[in-house]
Amino acid sequence: MESRRKRRRSQLYKWGLYFLLLLACTVLQTLPGFLQFGQAKPVFLLSLALAVAVCEDEFSGALFGAVCGLMWDYTAGRTAGLLALTLMALSFGISVASQLYLKLTQTNFALVTAGALWLVLSSDFLFYYAMPGYSNMLERYICYVPLTVLLSAVLAIPFYRAVSWISTTFKIDNGVI
Amino acid sequence: MKDFFETWKFRILIAVAVFLAGLMAYAAANGRLTAAPQELLSVAVSPFQKVASLIGGGVSSVWDKYTSIDETMEENETLREENAELRRQLVDYDKLKAENEAFKNLAGIQEDNPEMSFVSAFVIGRDALDAFGGFTLDKGTTQGVERGDTVIDDEGQLLGTVIEADLTSCRVLTILHPSFNAAGVVSRTRDNGILTGDASYAAVGQCIFTDLSRESMASVGDEVITTGLGGVYPANILVGRIVSIEPEASGTSVIAVIQPDADVLGVKQAFIITDY
Repeated sequence: MESRRKRRRSQLYKWGLYFLLLLACTVLQTLPGFLQFGQAKPVFLLSLALAVAVCEDEFSGALFGAVCGLMWDYTAGRTAGLLALTLMALSFGISVASQLYLKLTQTNFALVTAGALWLVLSSDFLFYYAMPGYSNMLERYICYVPLTVLLSAVLAIPFYRAVSWISTTFKIDNGVI
Repeated sequence: MKDFFETWKFRILIAVAVFLAGLMAYAAANGRLTAAPQELLSVAVSPFQKVASLIGGGVSSVWDKYTSIDETMEENETLREENAELRRQLVDYDKLKAENEAFKNLAGIQEDNPEMSFVSAFVIGRDALDAFGGFTLDKGTTQGVERGDTVIDDEGQLLGTVIEADLTSCRVLTILHPSFNAAGVVSRTRDNGILTGDASYAAVGQCIFTDLSRESMASVGDEVITTGLGGVYPANILVGRIVSIEPEASGTSVIAVIQPDADVLGVKQAFIITDY
C-alpha cells in the first residue's frame, strides 16, 4: 500500500508522460513529408488515444481521447470539437469493450485501431470531400484511406507498448491482491 | 458497467460531450475555427512543430532519396559533376543561409513591389487529412499576419492565402483547394478568368483557370498571373503555366489546367504579404 503523496506523484508522472506522448504524436503527425507514401500519411493521435483508453479506465480514456481529438481538430483545420467528440466516443467505447470482451494483445490493438481509424477517416471523407461533391473522390479514397489505415495500425503497436509500459510502471499499488 | 452510468464520472463525460458539441456549433457558426482553445493549442504546439520541422527536413530529404532511387540513379551521372561543385558551395549551408538566400529573393520581389510588406515563414505542419496541400506556417498575428493575407514562395509565386491566423502560427489554404478563388489573367492574351482548385488535379499539384472565354487565344505554355481585382490578392503575382485547355461541362467557356510555378505540395519556406 503506497502513501497518498506517493500515489499522487506517480499519477502526475504518468499523465505528464502521456501529455509528452501527445505532443510527440501531434508533431510527428504534422511533420511535412514524414513517412508519407503518395497521399497517405500515418495518423498517430488516434492510436495514442485508444492506447491510453485500453490501458487506463473508460473515464480517463474518454477525457484523454477528447484532448487528442481537439489537438487533431487544430492541426487538421477541422471544425473544433468534431474529432474531439468522435475520439472521445471511440475511446470510451473501446475501453469498455476491452474490459468486457477483448483480450488485449498487440495484434488485437492494431486491428481495433485500424477499424476505428477506418471509421474516422471515412466519416471525415464523407463530410469534407464526398458531401461537397468534389470530383475524383473515389480515387482519393482508394489512394488515401486504406494505406493510411495500414500504416497507422502498424505504427500503433509501438505507441501501445509505450503506453502499456507507462501504465504498468506508474500503476497504483492499492494493496489488493 | 451498468453502475457506471449512474456515477458522477459519467455525468462529467456527458458534460464534456455537451461542451464539445457547443464548441463545434460555435466554431461552425463563426467561420470555422478561431476560438480560444485553438489559440491555446497553437501556442503550445507550434514551438515543437518548429523544432520537428527542422529535424524533419533532414529526415524527409533522406526518405525522398530512398523512394526515388531509380530516378536518382539515372540522374546520378549528370548530378555527380554538379554535386562536386555544389558541395564546395554548400559546406556551411544551414537554415540561416537558406533564409538569407530567401531574403535575397525577397529583396528582388520587394524591389519590383516596393509597396508590399512581407513576413518570412517556414512550413511547420502538414496534416494527412488535407488533400489539397494545406499547411501551417510558423508566423501568426504577433508578426502581423492576418486572415486573408496572400502567401507566396521565395520566387514571388502564388501559394495560397491565410485562412486562419493564431498568435504564433497560421494555416494556409492553397491554390489547389476548390474553395480558393482569385481573379486571374493570361499574361499574353489578357483573357480573364477565375483561379481555383479542383479535386481531380490537386493530387498532382495542379489547379485550374475557369470561365475562360471560348474565343480565347490562350495556349499551352502561357503564364497566368493575378489581376488584383476584388482587392483580395495583389496584382501581377505569378501563378503558373497552362498545361492543357479543356471544354467546360456547360460548353459556354473553357478551363485551363495550370501547373503552378510554386511547389505547392513540397514548399518549405514562404512569404506572407501583410500589406500592399
